[in-house]
Amino acid sequence: MPRPDFGSLQAQLLRSGLSPRHVRRTITELDEHFDDLVDEAVANGACVYASEQQALQDLGDVHEIAAVIGERPELRSWAFHHPRIAVLLYPLVCFAVLPAVPLIAGVTNAVYLGRWMACAALSGVVTASIMLFLQLSFALT
Amino acid sequence: MTQTNPPFMSGVPELLLLRLLDQREMYGYELVRSVRKVTGEAISLGEGVIYPALHSLERNGALKARRKPVGGRTRVYYALTAKGRQRLDKLRNDWRRIQGGITNALEVPSHA
Repeated sequence: MPRPDFGSLQAQLLRSGLSPRHVRRTITELDEHFDDLVDEAVANGACVYASEQQALQDLGDVHEIAAVIGERPELRSWAFHHPRIAVLLYPLVCFAVLPAVPLIAGVTNAVYLGRWMACAALSGVVTASIMLFLQLSFALT
Repeated sequence: MTQTNPPFMSGVPELLLLRLLDQREMYGYELVRSVRKVTGEAISLGEGVIYPALHSLERNGALKARRKPVGGRTRVYYALTAKGRQRLDKLRNDWRRIQGGITNALEVPSHA
């Protein structure tokens, strides 16, 4: 199935200094646009393969798209415009955020953490029951 | 096939995008189709290169974008802001001034 080489476009956009978030959004929009072009051609009676070929042509070459985006410096990330400040600030921000990482991870994975805690509690109860049963067995014999 | 973005069209895509978004919010594909329709296919924006233009307008505060799930897909809809409306008014006035000037120049007899 012919589709635009979004992987190559993604790499080019990241190299040209766009932020990863902005690159993801651009790719998503282009991907949706491609699907819309295919859907329109199919609705007009073309076969899927021909529609995809036409959509590829209409959307344009990914290198050209990357070049057009690269011509707009306002779309580049803050770190690209101020690399020296970014190099100084990023480690400081990382150190500041580091203590909060376990907390963030806990909140993000609260469901899994909850399951793990429930399993740990359950296994504790089972172990305690077995120990109690053994104690009682020894006491009675 | 319609040629897209000839060199003299600098600024025109921005004007058209702002004008269309002044009516209602739209997503990229819809905007490309609308530009073709309202200009009688005289102007055709590049399918893939409309997004840098939209993102640039958004970065300048002329547009705001929001994601909206439609028919199992997530569309990014663009809407005009107050700043975008001001930009549209300015571009519209500039365009009318240039259009008037060019019309006058074309109507002047060639031997003048």
